[in-house]
Formats: sequence, C-alpha cells, structure tokens
Amino acid sequence: MTTHETIRQLLALSAAGLLDAADERRVREHVRECAECSTALEELAAVSADLCRLPAPMAPAHLLARTEARVAAELAAQTGPRHGAILAVGAGLFAWMAALATWGLYRFLAGSAGWLAWLLLTTVPAYMAAGAVAVMFASRRRLERSV
Amino acid sequence: MIYQAALFEDVPVAEPDEIVRLRRRDSAALACVVGRYQHRLYRYLRRLVREPAAAEDLFQQTWLNVVRQMDGYDSRRSFDTWLFAIAHNAAMDLLRRKAGESLEESGRELAAAEPDALSAAMASERTAILAAEMAGLSAPYREVLTLRFEEGMKLEEIAEVTRAPLSTVKSRVQRALETLREKMTARYRKEDLI
Repeated sequence: MTTHETIRQLLALSAAGLLDAADERRVREHVRECAECSTALEELAAVSADLCRLPAPMAPAHLLARTEARVAAELAAQTGPRHGAILAVGAGLFAWMAALATWGLYRFLAGSAGWLAWLLLTTVPAYMAAGAVAVMFASRRRLERSV
Repeated sequence: MIYQAALFEDVPVAEPDEIVRLRRRDSAALACVVGRYQHRLYRYLRRLVREPAAAEDLFQQTWLNVVRQMDGYDSRRSFDTWLFAIAHNAAMDLLRRKAGESLEESGRELAAAEPDALSAAMASERTAILAAEMAGLSAPYREVLTLRFEEGMKLEEIAEVTRAPLSTVKSRVQRALETLREKMTARYRKEDLI
C-alpha cells in the first residue's frame, strides 16, 4: 500500500479527531502536498463539524415524570422486601432472646422437669411464624413481578 | 479544520456523590441523574432507533436496568459509558426483534428521508440534510457517529459502549463519515448543476 493510500484511510479518523499525534502529523504532512487528500479532508472535516451541530431531538416533558415514577416503583420493590427481611430477622432474634429470658421464670413455676414443655412452647411457634413470614414474602414477590 | 472534542466540556454528567447515593438506592439522587442525562440519553436512543415512541420505551427500560444492575457498577469506570452501554444493549435487543432494521454494516445504505422544506429552511439547511442522510445509515454507523460527535466519546469509550473491538469502531467511523461525505458532495454537486 502506498503512502497516499495509507493516509487516505486515515483522513476520516483525522477529521473525527481520533488519530494519535504521530498519525495526525503524517496526515498533515501528506495533505500539504496532495491536493486530492487535502480536498477529501476538508470535506470530511465539514461533515464532522456539521455532525456536532445536528438539530438534537429533546426528551419530551412527560418522559421524565413517567420514568421517575417507574424507577421509584422499582426502587420500592427492591427496598421493600429488603427492609421486610431485616425486620423479620430482627423480630425472630427478639423472640428467641425473649424465649431464653423466660426460661428462669418457667423453671421457677414448673420445676426442673418442664424443660421439654418449655422448648415446645417457645421453639415451635417461632418456627411456625418464620415459615409463615417466608411464605408471605414469596407470595408478595410473585405479585410484584406480575405487575 | 479538525474536529475538536473540547466542544463537550459543558456536557451534563453525574456528580460522584450522586453515584454514591445512587448505589444506596436514593430515589432523590436517581431523579437528579435521570434529569441530568435525559436529553443526552434520549438523543442517543432516537438516533439509534429513529422512532420517538421506541426511544421513549427504551429510555425508561434503560433506567430500570440501571436500578437493577447498580450493584454491578464499578465506580472506577465512567458512569457515562456504563449508562450508554446499558442503553445500547436495550436498543440492540429491540432492533434485533424489529423487522427491516439492519444491524449489519451494510455498504449499501437506505435512501435518506427528505427533510421537509420548512424545517430545512428554518434550521440550517445543510445540517437538516445531513441529519436525514445520517438517519439513512445502518444502526452501527449511526451509533458511532452520535457517540463521537454528539457525546464526544473517545474510541475506547465507544468500544466499551458498543462492546466492539477498537479496529471495528475505527472502521465504522471511517465508513460512516466517508458515506456521508459522498452523499453530501453528490447532493451539492447535483444542486450546483441544476
């Protein structure tokens, strides 16, 4: 490939301001002596300059409001279950601590042989509540995804 | 003579603290960022898909995807290129489904729509004609032109948005500009003869 052909392929990138310094120098040196490339570069530069001034389509006013509403709904859908899960874990921990705290009282009232009854009374309802919360979260997520 | 990227110094971009708040799912920060990018993003999507209704749908879809993918955003990367890459993916999905839209870099381009006489007279006639000629190019060419000349992106950034190799981006810019030059030169030569 001759220098002329090589430079010819760089003209568009030069007009677009996308050449590195070395290639830009080569282009400038060549167009000083080559009328054909000089004309082509001028025309490409004119097109490039006009492309920067194209009439820009503006986003319609309603689009911003609609987008913000949809995005807010998406954020609520994302943060809602997260907050709910944190609350559920917190409530579960609280219930567990409360159950432990009642051990002393239960032992005082029922005697030392009642530990199995205590375990059933405190642990079984906690597991049942956790299961119910999990089912509620799953059905809520299904509902949100279907909207 | 050579195009100056410095023209884009006052382009609205997201502030670093807005990005931090965005990652915390702060709805006020998100509203600010959507507002900042509304015209840039909409313009890019309009250039790419051409139809206003489709561009509006994609605009909304892009921001929903931003919210969904925010955890995957690497703050060392440019937010602009990340955002435009999300918009690019959504637009490409749509264009692939759309009949008659070519994603190939076709040498034979569509005939440009004639700009209506009034708008051409009111705006600069040459830029109105150029906009119509650009709309006649295939999507990959329209995309690199808008990212370079309207968004002021560098080659590497365009490659990141379009997920194309640098050499492909270079050849797309080159062919798109050459095609427009030929069309504009031919049009003005023809008008000179009349």
